Amino acid sequence: MQPAPAMPKSWRVDNKPHKFCPGCGHGLILKCLGQAIDELEIQSRVVYGCDIGCSLLSWDLFNLDTVQTHHGRTTPVMTGMKRARPELLCIAYMGDGGGYSIGVQHLVGAAMRNEKITVIVANNTQYAMTGGQMAPTTLPGQKTETCPYGRDPGATGLPFQGAEMISAIAPDGAYVARGSISHLTQLTGFLKKALKNQIDGHGFSLVEALSACPTNWRTDAARTWEFIEKDMAGYFKRGEIKIPGQKEATANA
Amino acid sequence: MTLDFNGRTLELEKAFWTLFPGLCKGCGLCVEKCPVDCIDWSDVLGVYGTPSVEADNRCIACGICQNVCPDCAIRIDKRKKLIN
Repeated sequence: MQPAPAMPKSWRVDNKPHKFCPGCGHGLILKCLGQAIDELEIQSRVVYGCDIGCSLLSWDLFNLDTVQTHHGRTTPVMTGMKRARPELLCIAYMGDGGGYSIGVQHLVGAAMRNEKITVIVANNTQYAMTGGQMAPTTLPGQKTETCPYGRDPGATGLPFQGAEMISAIAPDGAYVARGSISHLTQLTGFLKKALKNQIDGHGFSLVEALSACPTNWRTDAARTWEFIEKDMAGYFKRGEIKIPGQKEATANA
Repeated sequence: MTLDFNGRTLELEKAFWTLFPGLCKGCGLCVEKCPVDCIDWSDVLGVYGTPSVEADNRCIACGICQNVCPDCAIRIDKRKKLIN
């Protein structure tokens, strides 16, 4: 018998391959999310919202009810959906451009109100869909289209630590973690815990996932892994930053 | 609806190593992550006309390439499992 591709059950099969570039980190994060949804058996209850940017290319990736909005407004749209239909499980998926720069006010507002939704932010240190411009998460010295000599922290500040900020302002009951596509089992575990936090009704959950963009980083496969595992891991520490019922933990690499 | 992706199964010593050229975009992430360096570029072209990948008999059936493939283009079935 012809073997079938080992895709998560919650993925749509008929429109694969998906629309992301070769080597894109979104594929890996969404594979982990698909596995988390499969393991929790919640496919029929999930509403999936994607944002503008490369994350919108996932609008038909899942076999889930999906809505697409712009500029970080996925968070308030999912908040509204959760308030209207509390039995649904709402996942807002966005990149660091939507989540941490133009749409950060929505993320902050939802975290302060402790809305019972799950937000997943894919951090690839730049605005990927528009051609790789400098974002708040760009690493010092990293070259992008709009900082061709490398980011200067004196003029443009240090990389934005979104997960740490959300864990500092979110009330008790929130779950905040940062995973990476270099550690997929750990990332799947974080996504499962974040969804479980929403199922149990504790409150807001945020998972930041360090992602890759070989197209705009202009890296080959070896340098892509090196950038995620060495350069990015130096600034963005993996680990659970806030767990419901526990004091704020520090991320450990 | 299910599509037939026409996998290309290599019958290796420890595993049946299947690659779906209709899904492989040729990113090379699996080539770098293989712990025994057994994956290399193949003459079979992937979905974007770039070379796809293939493994050889050094494969230890660890499944890392299946996990790190963003497009789910690789599938590994360990030989032991199939016998049982």
